[in-house]
This record gives sequence, structure tokens and C-alpha cells, in this order.
Amino acid sequence: MADTAVTIELEHLTKTYAGVAAPAVDDVSMTIPAGELVVFLGPSGCGKTTTMKMINRLIEPTSGVIRIGGEDVLGTDPVELRRRIGYVIQSIGLFPHMTIADNIASVPKMLGWPKARITGRVEELLTLVGLDPATFARRFPRQLSGGQQQRVGVARALAADPPVLLMDEPFGATDPITRLRLQREFRRLQQDLGKTVIFVTHDFDEALVLGDRIAVLAERSRIAQYAAPLALLANPADDYVRSFTGNSTHVRLLGILTADTAADPGVIGHGAEPELTTAATLRDVTELLLAGHATVAVLDQTGTRLGGADFTTVRRAVAAAQAQARPAEETDADADSDADADSVSDTEIPA
Amino acid sequence: MTAYADMPKVHRDRKGRVNPNRLVLTPVLIAAALTVLYLWVHSQTLDSIEQRTLNRAYLQTAVLQHLKLTFEATALILAIAIPLGIAVSRPRARHIAPVALGVANVGQAFPAIGLLVLLTTKLDVGVKVAMISIVAYGVLPVLRNTIVGLQQIDPALTEAARGIGMRPRQVLWKIELPLAVPVLLAGVRTTLVLAVGVTTLATFVNAGGLGDIIVNGLKLNRLPVQITGAVLVMCIAYFVDWLARIAEDALKPRGL
Repeated sequence: MADTAVTIELEHLTKTYAGVAAPAVDDVSMTIPAGELVVFLGPSGCGKTTTMKMINRLIEPTSGVIRIGGEDVLGTDPVELRRRIGYVIQSIGLFPHMTIADNIASVPKMLGWPKARITGRVEELLTLVGLDPATFARRFPRQLSGGQQQRVGVARALAADPPVLLMDEPFGATDPITRLRLQREFRRLQQDLGKTVIFVTHDFDEALVLGDRIAVLAERSRIAQYAAPLALLANPADDYVRSFTGNSTHVRLLGILTADTAADPGVIGHGAEPELTTAATLRDVTELLLAGHATVAVLDQTGTRLGGADFTTVRRAVAAAQAQARPAEETDADADSDADADSVSDTEIPA
Repeated sequence: MTAYADMPKVHRDRKGRVNPNRLVLTPVLIAAALTVLYLWVHSQTLDSIEQRTLNRAYLQTAVLQHLKLTFEATALILAIAIPLGIAVSRPRARHIAPVALGVANVGQAFPAIGLLVLLTTKLDVGVKVAMISIVAYGVLPVLRNTIVGLQQIDPALTEAARGIGMRPRQVLWKIELPLAVPVLLAGVRTTLVLAVGVTTLATFVNAGGLGDIIVNGLKLNRLPVQITGAVLVMCIAYFVDWLARIAEDALKPRGL
């Protein structure tokens, strides 16, 4: 599916409301590479949601160009456009008088899919988001918990397999534990689906967990910095971006670096050594080290020991990540991105 | 901006079903009232004037006329008030809503009997004049509840509907109207009960109904006739309210 992903290009996108002198969104240009999840990060009222809603034309831009997969969408029927763009909002927006199955089937029905195909798709999607179709398909939204409702919201957005997803603080209304679980599930889901996703949030930690790239937005949607999470942490562009990264950039780096970055075959374990896989982060490693273990074994997916990690190797891994991120930012080539460098270079803010 | 709407006031149990006891209670009370009335009237010695009114054929005609006027007027009210309520709830027409409600308020505030008299000076007496008066009097609850029912919908829901690619017409028919149904039907119920009451005035324009019996009883000073008319109107009002309550429950979308 990833090969059907599309690039989204915004050029000089501006929104001015009648009677308001200052534009709500002022001359935003950026490229969202195909198949990547780009987070719009910014405080309330910075225009991040307005920018996102212009992409599916719930808000009509005053000027500028939006291209999805090379097609200028401002010249198309907005309703047809929206059926090709998945949309998830914070309040979930499930229709309370429709069953879960009918909610998910909304877009396929409008597209005129045959009944059997819709039924199959609904079951497929419920399974995909971790809900048993036999249990949930015929229930109504109010019979589901907040976390379950949000999973259905994601399933509904994915129903017609749109190449683009717009998500407006989709996990914002759930409790911290559910939220963390939804974030992890969605990251895993996105790795399989490879959609082009724009994800709006004001939560920096969420942005770090989910984003392939983060666009830090200031007032009127001005792009303060547009970079991979690692580069953002290692090398914040200005004081505004630093106000998000704060004083705990090293601790936050632990949360996005995987355990194998600190695995050193030279570090030998002593007997009962705790084990982590490469799916774990350095944060998990540090937790175990602080709990009193001298070393932690890092295994690959097959269970083979890649090496041991201790405080020294963790510190080395963090330093290496920072060193790697800095020159990467200067040469415009993103360290952990395989996207076409040309599509990114003209949108990146020089450090 | 709107006056308070009549909110759905059906008593439901925890699973959202209407309490069956309440649905049974109303017909039982109506039957009891009618039985007591019947036995009491039979225990009286009726003079010839009373007999002319208190017989099966006369009563049946009056009741049927009353019901016919009530339901026809209500149907007309729905045909006017629901589309109007929808029209003035559209984003482009929102500023007209207070005007429409204002006019409907005047209709209800203006004494129905006064309107009857005024209309009679222009039109001939008869069913037409009665209908116009009942409609003018009963439009407000349905109009108000249609508007409020549509306005109380979470804007995030209609935006989600637009966001996934519904056309404005689909948003209205698939999302807005179903979600407005409970509030809308509460308004219909209020209007129905009002219409039963106002229809008693139809007698003054020679349009029949149970008003004939009550006015006969008053004019000729015959207590059994007055009481029969009054009790029958009350029973019809409760009966219509009961029917509307069943309709509310049957038509309310599941899942709400």
C-alpha cells in the first residue's frame, strides 16, 4: 500500500478572515513527503488546525496552492476530495445514531461500494484496530469506551483506503494510559500502512513518538522548524523551538532512540541480566539500569544477543545521535529519512 | 436566542426503554374516566334536551370531527413548521430564525378566539377558518423544537460528517434530522395537545367538534352535557399525548 502514498505540497498558503487584519495562516510553504507522518506541533491558536483543514477544504484558503500527489486540489470538488482523505478529530465525531459498522461504512457507502465488499472491509478494519467485529460491529458508539471509540474513528477514516490521513489531536480526549496505548498502536499501524499523515497536536512527547518529521509552528502557522524528531531535539532552531524541547532534551532523546543503539558486544553480562528487544527504547534501558542492574542485554527480533548496554554505552549512543543530527540538519539530508531530499530542501529552515 | 423548547420527557429505564407502566397507565386512566362518566350519565334522568346531545350518534360525530380537525391541523403544522425550521437553521439563514420564532410566538400569544372572529369577518364561517386558527396557534412548538433540535447537535459531529465527504443534503438527512428527532417529536406532542384544546373553539365558526357539546351544555344550563363534553376533550387530549409518546419512542433513533 505504501507505493500508493502521495506527497502533499503547500505553497504560500494563506487564510485571512473577513474583518481580521492579521491572517490566521500566513504564507505557509512546505512539503509532506509521501508515506510520512508529519506532526504540526504548536500551541492553541497558532493556526495548525486551520492549516490542516485547508488541506481537505473544510476551510477555503484565501490564497496559495495545495497539491496532493501533484494534483492541484483547489480546482476540484471539495466533497469528492474529502472522500479521498481520511479525517479524524479530537472529539472523535462518531455518529451516535449509527452502529459502529455503519459509522465505518459511511465513506464506502457514499462511494457506492457493493454491500459484500463493505461488510468485508468493516470486519477487516475492526480487526486492524484491535476490536473484535463479532462483538463491536452492531454496537452503538455510546456503548464503547473513549479509547475504543477513537479506534473506530481511525477505522472510519481508513475505510475507503485513502492515501492521505488528517488527524486533529485524535488522542487528546483520552486518559494518559489509553493515550499512550493508542499512540503505540497507531505508530505500528502507520508503519504497515504507509499513509501520508498530517497529525496536529500540542503535545511534544506525542510528536516525538509518532512523527517522522515535526513542523514546529509559531503564530499564524509560521514554520519555526521542520525536521526529524532527533534533529529537533539535538539542534533546536531558535528559542521558540527550545521552549518545546525544554531542558530535558537528553531524557527525551532516550525516548526516541532504540535500545540497539546502545548495544555493545564488548559489554558482557553477569548472570541474571535483564533482556530487551530492539523494539524497546533507551528509556527502557535506563529504567532497568537505574533499578540497579549493571547491564541490560539487547536482543534482536530473533532472540540473538546484539550486545550489552550500560550507562557508558547509553551516554555514548545519545552523544552519537546528537552528533549525527547536527551535520544532517546543516546539509539538509535527513539522517533517518529515505525520502527524496529535493522535496524537502526548499522547505527546511536553515539552522 | 430561542425560547425554551419542550424537551422529551418520557421516563425511561436504564436501558433507555420507556417505562412500560407509564405507557399502560394512561389508557387505564382514560378507560376509568370514561366508565365513570358513562355510569354517572346513565344514573341521571335525562330530559329531552339532554337526550338530543347525549346519544351515541351525536357524540360519535362530535368526537370524530374533533379528531379530524386536530390531526388535519397538526399535519398542516408539520408541513409548514418542519421545513421552515430546517430552512432557518441553515448557516446562511441563521439570522432569520429569531424573526420566524417571533412570528410564531405572536401566533400563539394572540387569542385563538380573537383570530377566529377576525377571520370570520373576511372569510365565511366553517372548517377553513377553524383550521387556520389552530395552525396559527400550534405552529410555535414544532417550529421552535425543530430549530432547537437542529441547533443542539454537537457542531463537531456535522463537521466530521462534512470532513468525511458528505454533501450538505446528506449531512441534513443522515445526521442532523435523525439527531433532532427526539426534540422535534416533543414539540409535535405539545402541538397535538394544544390543537385538541383549541379545536373546542371550532364550534364558534360552525366547524363542529366537542366544543358543540360543551357550548350546548353551557347555553342550555345542562350539567351532564357540560361534563360529558369536558371529560371527552380531556380524554382525547390524554389519548393523543399517549399516542405521541409511543411515536416518540418508536421513531427515536436507536443508539441515542
